Amino acid sequence: MNLKRLLGFDTRKDRYAYGRDPAYGYTSAAKIPDRWIPTTCGYCSVGCGMQIGVREGKAVAVRGNDDHPVNLGKLCPKGLAEHEVLAANSRARYPLLKNRKGRFERIGWDDAIETLVRKFHAARSVHGPRALGVLSTGQLVTEEFYALGKLVQLGLGTNNYDGNTTLCMASAVAGYKRSFGSDGPPGAYEDFEQADVVFLIGANIADNHPILCYRLERNKRKTVVVADPRVSKTARMADLYLPLKPRSDIALLNGMAHILVRAGLIDRDYIEAHTTGFGELETHLERYTPERVASVTGLSVELVYRAALLYGRAKAPFVAWTMGVNHSTKGTETVNAINNLALLTGKLGKPGASPFSITGQCNAMGTRETGFTASMPGYRKFDDEFDRKDLAELWNVDPDSLPLERGHAYPDMVEACVKGDMKALWIIATNPLVSFPNVEVLQQGFDNLDFLVVQDGFHPTPTTQIADLVLPAAIWGEKTGTYTNSERRVSKVNKAVEPPGEARSDFDIFLAIADELGVRETLFPGWKMPEDAFEEWREVSKGRLCDYSGLSYDLLDEHHAVQWPFTVTDAAKTNGRRPATSRLYADGAFQTPDGRARLFAIDWEPYPEQPSKSYPFVLNTGRTVEHWHTRTKTKEVKILERMAPTAWLEMNPRDARRLGFRPHDLVTVVSPRSRIDQLELRITEIVAPGQVFMPFHYEEKNSNRLTQSAFDPISREPNYKQAAVRVEKSGPRIAAQ
Amino acid sequence: MQTTARLERATANPFNILGAATPSRAARGLVGSSPLIPDIPLADGQQYRFHFDMSKCVGCKCCEVACAEQNNNPADVSWRRVGEIEGGVFPQTQRLHLSMGCNHCLDPSCLTGCPTEAYTKDPTTGIVHHNADACIGCEYCIWNCPYSVPTFNEERGVVGKCDMCHGRLADGDAPACVDACPSEALAIETVEIREWRRKYQDEANAPGLPSADDTISTTRVTLPDDLPLNSEKADFHRVRTAKPHFSLVLMTVLTQLSIAGFATAWVLSLFGGSAVLEAAAVVTLALGLASFAASPLHLGRPAFAPLAIRNLKSSWLSREILGLSAFGLAASVYAGMLLLEAPGLALAGGIASAVGLFAMYATSRIYLVPGRPAWNSPCTVADFFLTGATLGPLLLATLGAQYGRVLLAAAAVAAVGHILLETWRFLCLVRSEEYEKQATAQLLSGPLSRLFLLRLGLLAVGAAALPALGFEGPGFALTAAGSLLGRYLFFVSVVPRNMAMPFFERRAAA
Repeated sequence: MNLKRLLGFDTRKDRYAYGRDPAYGYTSAAKIPDRWIPTTCGYCSVGCGMQIGVREGKAVAVRGNDDHPVNLGKLCPKGLAEHEVLAANSRARYPLLKNRKGRFERIGWDDAIETLVRKFHAARSVHGPRALGVLSTGQLVTEEFYALGKLVQLGLGTNNYDGNTTLCMASAVAGYKRSFGSDGPPGAYEDFEQADVVFLIGANIADNHPILCYRLERNKRKTVVVADPRVSKTARMADLYLPLKPRSDIALLNGMAHILVRAGLIDRDYIEAHTTGFGELETHLERYTPERVASVTGLSVELVYRAALLYGRAKAPFVAWTMGVNHSTKGTETVNAINNLALLTGKLGKPGASPFSITGQCNAMGTRETGFTASMPGYRKFDDEFDRKDLAELWNVDPDSLPLERGHAYPDMVEACVKGDMKALWIIATNPLVSFPNVEVLQQGFDNLDFLVVQDGFHPTPTTQIADLVLPAAIWGEKTGTYTNSERRVSKVNKAVEPPGEARSDFDIFLAIADELGVRETLFPGWKMPEDAFEEWREVSKGRLCDYSGLSYDLLDEHHAVQWPFTVTDAAKTNGRRPATSRLYADGAFQTPDGRARLFAIDWEPYPEQPSKSYPFVLNTGRTVEHWHTRTKTKEVKILERMAPTAWLEMNPRDARRLGFRPHDLVTVVSPRSRIDQLELRITEIVAPGQVFMPFHYEEKNSNRLTQSAFDPISREPNYKQAAVRVEKSGPRIAAQ
Repeated sequence: MQTTARLERATANPFNILGAATPSRAARGLVGSSPLIPDIPLADGQQYRFHFDMSKCVGCKCCEVACAEQNNNPADVSWRRVGEIEGGVFPQTQRLHLSMGCNHCLDPSCLTGCPTEAYTKDPTTGIVHHNADACIGCEYCIWNCPYSVPTFNEERGVVGKCDMCHGRLADGDAPACVDACPSEALAIETVEIREWRRKYQDEANAPGLPSADDTISTTRVTLPDDLPLNSEKADFHRVRTAKPHFSLVLMTVLTQLSIAGFATAWVLSLFGGSAVLEAAAVVTLALGLASFAASPLHLGRPAFAPLAIRNLKSSWLSREILGLSAFGLAASVYAGMLLLEAPGLALAGGIASAVGLFAMYATSRIYLVPGRPAWNSPCTVADFFLTGATLGPLLLATLGAQYGRVLLAAAAVAAVGHILLETWRFLCLVRSEEYEKQATAQLLSGPLSRLFLLRLGLLAVGAAALPALGFEGPGFALTAAGSLLGRYLFFVSVVPRNMAMPFFERRAAA
């Protein structure tokens, strides 16, 4: 602080002056840019349109794009301050290689790429392609995912390729595939506005997807039903709140279906025409009487009836879910049970009516469409002869060069690391040392690796710190491409500023690696920019469910975001108007070989780790609105960090009284795996007795030390919820300090 | 039609500080122009206000971030805050949120107390404006506001607060917070001032908000139908100490010592002067002047301290400064007359003493603000006078003035009185039904208890025991230390009135 300020002559007036922005009106002069660059938010997959204000090459502000069909100008608190992440101190700036002393040394890009390729070659030549693995993300642009899939499967030649999307949306993907024959959420956000009943199950949209609350708020004749074991902010929005016991959702869904069948609130014509498996399901549902369901879920019989009848009598019921459903060993089947409800009533793909998975990351959908992880690009199946031939032809490669099956899914890659089978791993834009369950096991596994590359926009993160090679990447705001949001809407992402230091876009990094591998011209013929990848992807997606063929950068720039499927015919019809909302399966034709959807007889089962005498509490984990995932970005945004500076543990007052805890006590949470110390206790009625809740964002108090290694056998998604824990007092009261 | 009305208002608005009106957002052809601000220009007897719909708020804090972006405020300066209240029993429970900027009160206490007239209430819009150029960073408005709305900006050295984005309103645009809210929980409305003055209780009060009685907040709050009766602030158990204000600790104690010492010397001189008494008067004056000269150091903008005398008509802070200046002047005249052996010394001393006592009273009145319940009682006035009454005579006795025994007896009596006062005040706080007073008692009996006992002990030993044994000097030193400690506790133990804050609120009170 200088003398002028100390005396009071300098009040930083310039910094606090106001002015008028031509687009956004009266505001702080410091936030008025030279130009606004339209783009799409890089946090969650709601996919809000925004503009980055750039002044003298720096991002100074972010504003919602009024003209964007998703958010109509609104943004959540993270989005509103997103420009701050670009200039964060913790950005990765230079390629770093760990030397023999274990210290990072700055190296050039050529060295970095050469080292990566050499190390992967070495591991492959000694241990075979199964010793290589790639862990990707939902954070890149679609063009990068498309390029990366080809690079990994055909360039590096390993099918051990998966993304952190398996920690997130895999159950929704697998559930859609099983029910409808393909991935792809059938509904649209417009359904939030058009539904008469909105049923949110395991989805805390008020904390996780606030802009969907905006869409919901625009619906003035809705009845909102929320099923959640915790009285979340979203539960507060409910007209009917179902405080069900943890992981009893299948029982609830079956119970609702049972009542629908008995009350004749099902559409037998639809079932007859468009589904298979009804007979078996009908018999199966007989066992899910409201009384039994009530005892499993802890809900009253009346509540189960009310929920079922609300759904059954609705003209347009909309069911939306997120991690409360997916983060489960029964996640895929829970999705199937949700889909059953829609299929039984025939309320699917119509305005206001759909089973709808709300995705997590900004472009998890993009990797699902193009990514070449759990399926081949364009939702093609590994084991489908036609799909293999089709893709090989498009790519001008030998069909036998395409993998015959999916390689290790994420948790299986971790297991391979633990066993010592995995030798070289390349991690891109994800932070498993915070985000993977039972993380100490993962740490042990990674210790066994010969070579770990981490490509990220930030360094240090817990994961980059243990890397042998760090590749600094450009992030949102620094590169061009597209994201697909939860409602299949492809939205343009534009570069506003240059990446810091020597950081490069992931796209450039992939091309450079392809070059080094000598496959660039085979895999990426003539590619220079992301748009080249987009153009190829348009061709590859043509005729598939996720048909991009009618899309172009120009069209996206004009309308900001357009939903797939969007064919050339659709494009011809637009005439400059914004394309109408699209839904899948409105005609009842599904992507299964026989065109019929599948009904599944799903059984409720108790969750794997039941509370015991030593671990009497059920630990639920989740998010808080201020932070994003492992906080790599949001901890750099001062206002968000000030609002939510540390993790906490929520406990019901009845339990707290019994244990002698007081508000703000520091407690230790112990699971059979590990412990977290010095968590601030929040005594609150919003969690049920016997349950505790903590947010998962904080590396310093990482909930994933406690969570278990239990995975959905179909989707391989982890069961993050319902770890058994005990809570002890760990320190002095910090209140009044 | 609406656009035209807005444009007209924009053109007509005298507070369009950037000069020429620009077309509103709607007129600029932008979609999303807000239905959440009034369409019709204000009539006489009306002003703008915020409406907050608690039943719609989902606690996303968009408003708080949008506000910081709008005003380019640092992360720890919030002109709009989102707090939490909770009540009920699982599963019939509610965690509700409160979003609050400035309430643009009908009787704004920030404005009344501001010594520099940095605050104005816009006669047209009713917006309570704060002018950073006129602000000296004394933070008195922060103490005065029962909602703790004004915020000190460390970087600038001045306070700032929500101005309802009047620049945006003038253009027909919604304030940043209103514009950002995804659940339409915030809006700007027109309020009939006279009617509101009559009926504000129903809608200006809400759980988690201080009573609107003190300032008549204009913010209308819509509560959810299912609001649990036992709703409590989420930060209820987070009782923290406030800023210590060390320079004010020093300044108040020293000026009280100075004035009381001077007045005592003057009284004694009426019974026959002595060189010692004259020296004592000069010493106390020097102490007073020194502390007064140092007092601007607690300001964000010390160089502008003289501006603080502007608001004599309503600010006790202005009156204090005037009083202390006048005391300094009168006492200096007295000292000059001493040197020159001029006649009329007794009268001059009497005038200086009277002015000094007024200044002391004015100082104490600064702290009698509803926003700081633990301060807001006659005990504060008594506390300040007893501090003087103990230290002044004791200093004189230490300097070897005549009537030493009388002086020591007076100091001892004052000290005992002070101990009784502090004890009684503490008991009042303990038994109070006001949250903030209880919280102060909790601090004094909890984390501050040792210091509190030490303070009483120092007073007893320093002002009564040691002087009785003939150790006036050490006695004075201990008493002075005890008084400084007592004043420190006075500042740090106060718990301001505030809206309910979130569970995690790391900022200490000002």
